[in-house]
Amino acid sequence: MNDTEQLVKDALGKLAERTPHPGPTLNALRRKRKRPRNVFLISVAGMAAVAVLIFAGVIASDRYTPPSGNDAAAALIPGNGQSVALKYAPHWLPTGYVENFRLVDREVHRVWVPEGAKGFPFTDGGPQIALIAGGDQPEGVDWQDTTVRGLKAKIALRDQTAELVWHAQDLLKVSVRGFPDARQVALQVAESVRADSKVVHRAAFKLDGRYADHTWGSKPADWEAMSIWKNQVSVHVGTLPPQLVGDTKPVVVRGREGLRTEKGVAVFDGSVWIWATAESNTDLVVEAVNKVELVPSPDTSWIGKGL
Amino acid sequence: MTPSFDDFVAEQVTPLLRYATVLTCDPHLAQDVVQEVLLRAQQKWDRIGAVDLPHAYVKRMVTNEYLSWRRRRAAKDVALCMTTLESVTPPVGDTTHHYDEREAMLQRIAKLPRKQRAAIVLRYYENYEDSEIAQMLGCAEGTVRSHISRALATLRMDHTPEPAGVGLRLGEGLS
Repeated sequence: MNDTEQLVKDALGKLAERTPHPGPTLNALRRKRKRPRNVFLISVAGMAAVAVLIFAGVIASDRYTPPSGNDAAAALIPGNGQSVALKYAPHWLPTGYVENFRLVDREVHRVWVPEGAKGFPFTDGGPQIALIAGGDQPEGVDWQDTTVRGLKAKIALRDQTAELVWHAQDLLKVSVRGFPDARQVALQVAESVRADSKVVHRAAFKLDGRYADHTWGSKPADWEAMSIWKNQVSVHVGTLPPQLVGDTKPVVVRGREGLRTEKGVAVFDGSVWIWATAESNTDLVVEAVNKVELVPSPDTSWIGKGL
Repeated sequence: MTPSFDDFVAEQVTPLLRYATVLTCDPHLAQDVVQEVLLRAQQKWDRIGAVDLPHAYVKRMVTNEYLSWRRRRAAKDVALCMTTLESVTPPVGDTTHHYDEREAMLQRIAKLPRKQRAAIVLRYYENYEDSEIAQMLGCAEGTVRSHISRALATLRMDHTPEPAGVGLRLGEGLS
């Protein structure tokens, strides 16, 4: 073996030392595993779907539905609300971090906090990792250039929070708070982010044609979903009873007996609590709760889960 | 007895990633290639698991995936620099004077046409014989010798390394 060949061998050996950790690959495999498909059933289902579409097309072809006011807003939400493709997922997180918050609007937020964190860990200033898709380019002068998977990126460190922004198919941001090495953690999380069309979010309720955009909780059976209605009423559906402030009196809402306070109303409807609050005394809270359409089987299986 | 797919992955994912990293010169691309191959292998595991050497079969899948991947992306820029590599795994400390030579050599290897690069990796990293390389690349042994000879001739040429942090354009030939 001559010098060149030996150098080639040494160089390749050195390159092998940079082999990435298998964790992200294993996690991605776990998420993306394809189940064996029943070709016959798929064919039958496909033919049935085509038949239904043709039939529906014939029936609907001479109808015209004017656009509603909600269409424009709904169009801004990826996937039109109920089943939203979250599109991106990290494949590495620090040990013990679980997902407990999602916001699906023009931006899609996913937040992971330490397992067992109590209260509202995504707002209390404690440790958290957030992945945000969509939004605007960062502004300001304190951003430093870096790279994520070979793409140009910008990172800023403020008050022990590292924010890392890069442009993949969408603008992506990783925000890491409460780590002594927040910058390094943010880079490592960002490097593990992959597009994943199979990760979807299904909202828990609908109100006036719009699905709930906030969902959080500590475990699949302990969750809460929320939307703001008419810019003044905060509407919630959740598994735990709300804390009502002030004197209460009975009220009939959704055909059941609920409780009315000065600025809010709450009712237990089957398996979940539905309530609404406002800044002032308004009957809009009762109207909002009456209008809530529950989704039969909301997907909360992601709450409290890690990778 | 046919190993389960899970056992196979647990045992082979790191060697496959290592091979793919050396083959692609890009840890990110290596992850993507291995992930894609394992997903496909899982679907056909009844057949793949039953062959004599499943890991050799899957390694060949990785090679083919890389070659076709490169074909699909031949016109694209791929960031290949030490910054990229070190962002995934910090380099092991190296104080020898060979460091720069090896780094320069890596950059030259990264510029080789894909089949030449694969042949070089199989010969000098995997220590394969010509016949094994020919089988892996699906070509004649004479073609393998030609690939390696041409590659070594290119690598011997005097070359000034590009500064670290500069992405190399890898729009290499498709031959």
